[in-house]
Amino acid sequence: MPSASDTTTGAAPAGAAPGGATERRSRFDTTLLGGKIALLVVVGALVLVFPQMAADPFILSVGVVIASYAALAVSWNFVGGFTGYISLGHAAYSGLGGYATALFITRADLNPWVALIGGGLLVAVLAVPIGIASLRVRGASFVIVSIALVLILLLVAQSWASLTGGAQGLRVPRPFGEDVLRPEQHERFFYIHVAFVVVALALWWAIDRSRFGMGLKAIREDEDKAQALGVPTGGYKLTVFVISAFFTAVAGGLYALWFGYLDPIFQFSILIGSYMVLMSLLGGLRSLMGPVLGAVVVGYSLEFFKVHYGDSQFHLVALGLLLALVVLFMPDGILPAVGALVDRLRPEKRTSIREMTAEDLLEHNRRLDGGTGTPEGTATPAGSGPGATDAERDLATVPPREEQR
Amino acid sequence: MTSTAPVGGATATATTEPSLETRGLTKSFGGVRAVDGADVTFHRGKINALIGPNGSGKTTFFNCVTGMIKPDSGKVTLGGNDITGKPPHRIAAAGIGRSFQLCRIFPRLTVLENMLVGVRSPSVLHRMGGARNGDDIAKARELLRRVGIDHLESSEARDISYGQQKLLELAGVLMVDPDTIMLDEPAGGVNPALIGRIGTLVRELNAEGRTFVIVEHNMDMVMSLSDHVVVFDRGRPIAEGPPSVVQNDPRVLEAYLGV
Ligand SMILES: Nc1ncnc2c1ncn2[C@@H]1O[C@H](COP(=O)(O)OP(=O)(O)OP(=O)(O)O)[C@@H](O)[C@H]1O
Ligand SMILES: [Mg+2]
Repeated sequence: MPSASDTTTGAAPAGAAPGGATERRSRFDTTLLGGKIALLVVVGALVLVFPQMAADPFILSVGVVIASYAALAVSWNFVGGFTGYISLGHAAYSGLGGYATALFITRADLNPWVALIGGGLLVAVLAVPIGIASLRVRGASFVIVSIALVLILLLVAQSWASLTGGAQGLRVPRPFGEDVLRPEQHERFFYIHVAFVVVALALWWAIDRSRFGMGLKAIREDEDKAQALGVPTGGYKLTVFVISAFFTAVAGGLYALWFGYLDPIFQFSILIGSYMVLMSLLGGLRSLMGPVLGAVVVGYSLEFFKVHYGDSQFHLVALGLLLALVVLFMPDGILPAVGALVDRLRPEKRTSIREMTAEDLLEHNRRLDGGTGTPEGTATPAGSGPGATDAERDLATVPPREEQR
Repeated sequence: MTSTAPVGGATATATTEPSLETRGLTKSFGGVRAVDGADVTFHRGKINALIGPNGSGKTTFFNCVTGMIKPDSGKVTLGGNDITGKPPHRIAAAGIGRSFQLCRIFPRLTVLENMLVGVRSPSVLHRMGGARNGDDIAKARELLRRVGIDHLESSEARDISYGQQKLLELAGVLMVDPDTIMLDEPAGGVNPALIGRIGTLVRELNAEGRTFVIVEHNMDMVMSLSDHVVVFDRGRPIAEGPPSVVQNDPRVLEAYLGV
């Protein structure tokens, strides 16, 4: 069938184009891609030289805190971003990861890095029954269930003092010897966190492009519909939930190794879980880099307010305001809002209903008319296909009314 | 109303084999028996219609058959295999595709992405593969072209018109390659000319060998399109047969007009 899109489908390995849908990459898209790569290189270089540029160990430690937030947010976003299940209780997994890592080192005498991964795996195993139970409910009910778990774990950690140190907290041995000085510790942990974030982002990206990811996004949009189309929703949700729990636990373990001390009130707090949600929402939970951007903004703001207003609760008020503003004006988060802005600069609009010209429409209808609408090899039953009236064909292609959004 | 002779040999009703069957299917909501011991047989390779007054349980029947809700009792078989109470994705894999009464699409995915959701995955490895691969995209485009909305493939599904969304939903179901296609009011809320287009598509797909079960209130469409009509009232069939026979059945008139 000689039609314009046929030839292009064959020519381009369609999977390669990020847009996929548009065959030929316009000059604007090429420029945009170049810009993105340049931005990535610059930001990446800045991140790598940050420890050298940091004026003092305190600034460096703020960098580690922000990287730790980014690790948590990206880990959270495996569930939140793909499936739209908003867990306010992910502190359960970071907290468990932290305690598991610490206890594996102190009680089982494991190598700290083995303990870290072991903690992550243990939490991933625990996440299977938890996921099976909690992912049965959707929306607000899921949020409540996720919170309940944190509260239970807080009680357990506080009362099981023989294991967790109870309210006294738990000291975590440092993975690098005592001879490694503080700034050096910060620097190493900064790079370890960055590496962790890069690995998590790479996996998120890979899932985003896969059939599995397409199924997850369909679950986010309409779970029942997705299942009616054959997506095994239960298995998909559980898989991504376990992945998320594993990464969150390792991020929690990394924090424990860096900070060297675990306090149950802080580990199993709703606030930490809320930060993960807030950071992802702020940056844009449907975009790869959204949670990282959100972590930088929220992490920086938190530290800023703590420095300037001490231990007052003012930073919480400010964060609440920030979230309200973003939700009001950029409901999809910062990155999608920026993306929409860039799209407006586009000289030629993407093929979209409103941009279809009269000639395009005519050509399109002619194609339908010519019987190319039916695939080859299928006999067109008499009285159908070409028999359709012009009005019928037009109807399917009439651009929608302007007010339709 | 003169009924058009159904396409595909309506005379052969006696020689057809059952495709989808229910026996004693029952589902209650509180005190309401939405589906009440329904024994229904739909025929393979035919365009079957399921009609009945509002609230007679047609959508609930669909939901029970496709696993969206679990029936209280009764049995559903597809080509002789028991599919009662199986989860929807297994029933989809068994070969039943369905549309929803209030057209359901994935609003914030593009038209093309909507299509790619329904790709069948035979293995875990296949699921890890790229969603935007040449084969799947080519198939999706072919189907979009067939329903006439291929020019919209990069629009977000929420941005296209309602009629176009209905076409997208149908095309999306076809991505799964179902043998049996259940449509809940395909003509509901669409312009008369587009109804003609949907009817044409159903005929073409039926000619390829797909079985249809269509819930529809548009009697012209039902009478001109279907080979076999089942009439529902209060959760169970009260009449069935070729459209020309069913439309003159006094029980049907009574159920519809309440006389
Ligand atoms: N989820 C539900 N909860 C409670 N009652 C329900 C539910 N779904 C359906 N019903 C009831 O079951 C009965 C059958 O409804 P159903 O939607 O199956 O009818 P229908 O034949 O599809 O009607 P329509 O032609 O208006 O679409 C109605 O009385 C309805 O109120
Ligand atoms: Mg209904």
